[in-house]
This record gives sequence, structure tokens and C-alpha cells, in this order.
Amino acid sequence: QLDLWKPLQPEDIRAGEDLHIRVPAPLVQEVKDSLDQHMMSYRVLIPDVQKLVDQSMPRERSSYRQVSGGYVYTEYHPMEEIYQWMTQIQKNNSELVTQHILGKTFENRTMYYLQIGQPSNKPKKIIWMDCGIHAREWISPAFCQWFVKEILQNYKSDPKIHRFLQNLDLYVLPVLNIDGYIYSWEEDRLWRKNRSPYENGTCYGTDLNRNFNSSWGSVGVSFNCSSDVFCGSGPESEPETRAVAQFIKSKKSDILCYLTIHSYGQLILTPYGSTTEPPSNNEELMQVAKEAAAALTGKHGTSYRVGSTALILYSNSGSSRDWVHMIGIPLSYTFELRDTGAHGFILPANQIQPTCEETM
Amino acid sequence: EDAGSCLATVLYPKKKSPPVVSIKCSDTKDKKEILEEDKRLYQRIRHQTKPITGKNIPDSYGIIEPALEPVWALAVAGSSSIMWEKSTETFRYSLAQVKAVKQWLRKDDFVEFDYTVLLHEIPTQEIISCHMRLTWLPGHPLKVKHFCASQSHGTDEGSGAESGSAAGAPAEKGASF
Repeated sequence: QLDLWKPLQPEDIRAGEDLHIRVPAPLVQEVKDSLDQHMMSYRVLIPDVQKLVDQSMPRERSSYRQVSGGYVYTEYHPMEEIYQWMTQIQKNNSELVTQHILGKTFENRTMYYLQIGQPSNKPKKIIWMDCGIHAREWISPAFCQWFVKEILQNYKSDPKIHRFLQNLDLYVLPVLNIDGYIYSWEEDRLWRKNRSPYENGTCYGTDLNRNFNSSWGSVGVSFNCSSDVFCGSGPESEPETRAVAQFIKSKKSDILCYLTIHSYGQLILTPYGSTTEPPSNNEELMQVAKEAAAALTGKHGTSYRVGSTALILYSNSGSSRDWVHMIGIPLSYTFELRDTGAHGFILPANQIQPTCEETM
Repeated sequence: EDAGSCLATVLYPKKKSPPVVSIKCSDTKDKKEILEEDKRLYQRIRHQTKPITGKNIPDSYGIIEPALEPVWALAVAGSSSIMWEKSTETFRYSLAQVKAVKQWLRKDDFVEFDYTVLLHEIPTQEIISCHMRLTWLPGHPLKVKHFCASQSHGTDEGSGAESGSAAGAPAEKGASF
């Protein structure tokens, strides 16, 4: 009944010699207990056989090819393809999705967001999610795309999602820092900032997540353009920042929750980064975040830490999450997706699916 | 792959010097078996007919060519010693990517590699480029020499102006992966 790997035949089993067996996952504890009971020593040679099998599959033949109308969600896509994807998504789901212009990037590219929800004549409450504020965090836009796909795919079959889209509107900005994202595809995979020039074009890029008007320029930033945390020439100095800020300000009273997706670190971060003073609704923020982290862990066992940015990560001012909360939106979170440093920003595409599944 | 589970205490001294680390491991793999695996890794490197070279490991999509896995593994081990030396209470590091690697063939049994590794520095978010020279033979500690490019962050934290190499700082015994 047990899968014998060494020796190959039960009749070749000899006392005093090594025995290798593959134990199905649900039986592992039982087998261990039984061996302990019989005072037989053992060692786990391979903790997860399936993992080894999956790892040995070449990328093209991966068994997890999620195709939704031809789009492969388990691969990273360049910006051109993401633009096309947005158009397609609206086309294929026009009863729920509309594409809108948010603004323009420094290099004059159009920033689009998707509005997803059942149309209604009453104003609806909003949940906003943006991805890709930092160019190199590719798993973030990949997650936004996955999220949209999941929601739309299961809208009819999942009553929770159905109710969700009935009562709320989801606003998703799949790539906030478009210029930077493109730059990370074409020039420098580890680029972080946007691409606006400073110092007479000798230096490029503001860290958009230091550029918001939340204690701007006070901590965890640099005023030197060559730094990766350069906060810009002033709060909202960057067109991308202004585009997001203007929009959120205009919808302020209707936005329930703001989510901004980053990598890496496996963290759910609450305000603030600029101070360790807890926000007024800290208990609520923490409770919701803890429940989210627990649900996340329940999927693939990935552990996420929860807490205020200044306490569990590092101090920084000018973040979008802080600014959103300061203008009155109660629930504001930064998600730092997988992993914790083994791959860091260059997360292999085969982790897109499990990362997105657990984050859903 | 599980080589064991370890609990480490890390103490950062006030003056600039590497942290003091004490580790206790349990459920560890048999030492003999670790050596066997090291030897297999070593053979994979030795069996190549030409000196190994590579760049951008992993590539932008996170993929590592199977032939370059041993070289990647050594880079991880070697750069951990660089990161140990650079870490402070406020600055921590991860290996972001191996930018380039070139093998130096030797007359003796040791394998030797020249690396350019990119380290991600928190909280500055900078990508630090380090040159690393690594020598190894199974059963011997990894020998790592490094030189990291200095950065002018302009941040309030002291900028990491790194100079000088650390000669023969063993990352761990018989680099086990």
C-alpha cells in the first residue's frame, strides 16, 4: 500500500538496511507516530515530492497555464500587452467594466484605471487598488491583472463576489508608474522610481511613494536625485502622483478602502510610516489586516506580518498609504507581496499563481 | 531543500563591525550526506568543458538556467558573507541578482569564480554592486573576497561607502544548500 522507493520490491527488504518510502501527505503524521511507537528511527529525505516535480518542469510546459481569453496570467507582461489587456477586459465584460483615464505620466503615457462593478443610479462606495508604483516590483501589476480576472471570472458563480460588485465599485490601476515599468523591461530590471529628469537631465527619477503630501520630505527620504528614495522637488511634484492624488481627493467621501500593492516582504502595512504615533482607528485597521493575513496564510501557508510601517519596516514620509489616510479614508494598506528576499524583486513567474491565489 | 532548522541570535555592536551571530540548529542533515551533496554540486561544475560564464542570474523573469544553478548557489553562499559584514542595526541586505560570473580555471582542485553581485539595501532601497572572488572545494570553508562600489545616497543615514576587501571570510562550513 505504501509506495516503496528503496528497495523496489517488498521481498528485498532486509533488517538493518535502509528503507525509502513515499508517504501520501494526509498520512504523514500517522506514519511518523507509528514509527515512533515501534521505536524505529527515520528521517525525512524529501519533504514535498510534488514541489520537486513542479520545479523540474520546464517553464513552457508548466501545468498551470491559466488562460482567460488567450491571456496568460502566470507570466509577466510588458506594458504594451497590459494596455491591450485592459481594452480587451472592458470589451469582454462591458456590463461590469469601464476603462477611464486617470492622467498622464512624465513621458506622456496615458494612465488608465478600470472601474468594476454593477452599474447603479445611486452613488456607490469605492475600493481602490493600485499596483506598480515601483517599477521593479513586477509581481504587483501581475497581481492586479490576476485580481481583475478572478473577480470577473467568478462574478456569476460566487455569491460573495456578486454581492460585492453589486454594493461596491472596484477601481483598479494596474500600473501606476508606467514609465518606470517600461524602463525596467528595457533598460534596468531593478529600476524603482519614475523617469522624470532632474539636474539638467543628468539624473532621473523620483520615488513616487515618497512624493505624496504626507509629512513630505521629513524622514526616510533623500533630497538627492541619485538616491532611490528621492522624494522629488516638492510634494506631488510628479505627474503620476498628481494624477492619483487628484482623483482620490475628488472621490474622497466615497472611498472606503485604499490598497497599494508592492513587493517584497510579505507584509500588510498600516499607517503611518512618517511617525510611530498610531492612527485614530488603529484597532480597526489592525483587526482587518490580521484577518486578511490569516486568510492569506490559510491558502498556501505563506506567513505575512502585520503592523504599522514605522514599527515593522522603516520610517518613511510621503507614502500614498499615509496620505490617503490623512485625508480621511479610514482603511489604507500597503501590501508587500512575496517573497522575503530569496528572489526579492525578481520573483520567478511560477510563483505568480500561488502569490495571487493567496492574496485573493 | 531542508538542511535543518536553525535559531540565530544576532547582536549588532555599536561600532561599525559585522554582527555577532550565534546559531543553534536542529533536525540537521547528516554531515556525510551534506558532503555528498556538495561533491555532486562540485562535480557539476568540474564536468563543464569550458570555463563557466553567465550574466543576469536569474533573468528578468526569475528563471535560472539549470546549467548555472551550481554557480548561483555558490553566489548565494558567498554573498551572504558580504551581507554579514555590511549589516548593521539599520542596514540590511538581500541578494537581488547575479549580474555577471566568470570562472577562473585553476591547476589545483579548487573552483574559483569572479562575480558581480547586486545587493538590495534597506532602507535606502539602493542596489549596491559588489565584486566578489570566491574559491571552494567540498569539505573546505568557502573563501570570499569582496569589494562593493561606494554609494552616495545623500540620505540622513550614513552613506555606505564601502572600500577594502575582506580576505578569506568563510561564509559557512562546506557551503551546504
